Amino acid sequence: MLKPYACVACEKVILDQDGVASLIALFNKFVLTLPKGQEIPKNAVAPREWAVFSAWDPEPGDELKEYVFCIQIFYPDKTQFGETFKNKMDVQLNKRSQVKTNIPGFPVGQSGFYTIRTWIEESNKMVAGPIEFKMEVEY
Amino acid sequence: MKYRCPVCMFPSLPYPPSNYHICPCCSTEFGNDDADFSHQQLREMWVANGANWFFGNTPEHWNPWMQLLSAGLGTYVPKTFFALRFQANASVESSGAGSAKHFETIHAKNIRVALAA
Repeated sequence: MLKPYACVACEKVILDQDGVASLIALFNKFVLTLPKGQEIPKNAVAPREWAVFSAWDPEPGDELKEYVFCIQIFYPDKTQFGETFKNKMDVQLNKRSQVKTNIPGFPVGQSGFYTIRTWIEESNKMVAGPIEFKMEVEY
Repeated sequence: MKYRCPVCMFPSLPYPPSNYHICPCCSTEFGNDDADFSHQQLREMWVANGANWFFGNTPEHWNPWMQLLSAGLGTYVPKTFFALRFQANASVESSGAGSAKHFETIHAKNIRVALAA
């Protein structure tokens, strides 16, 4: 079973040729400046790419399985934003498995704390996680 | 096989975007609407009218702006704000005893990491 090592949101992830990750601009808050008197639509999305970086340590036998890293985003009122982001994992024996998921925008239709939920699936069943962290949107 | 609408970028058309098929998302009738307007013009019209779902029940968790962003068309997403910037407490999570429940969180507070116009 994969064991979690790290899970973090950042603006950009750079992987060098040896697979060493550099995380650019770890953040947990979006601050928006709105035009005076304007309300933001409930389905508004900030067109700003960001990424979730996750790393997992495998156990013998994990390299034979097909794992999928999943991400869901929840509004402050707990409703889900967008579909579940899914990313196939490349798992090798005795090597930390890293997943970089680029997300092209962030919902900003509500102010408050958004929940980012991540987990790993095998055959559409959660086998590791969930790991959750918060992301704040402030107007 | 699924096809992508060249107007609104809906990725799950059951038919190719031709032969008078209609996109359930943006309502474009291919071979008719796009005979008079370019796909870009039709997209601009769809966005200007609110980028609403056209036919039947809106798919669960569907968002028109993420649909366009995922296709690399972020320029069509309306910016309803003057400025946006990232702020960070540089939250890093590291493994503890090996399960998600044993995660430790390290906070380095009040570090401003990036500014974005």
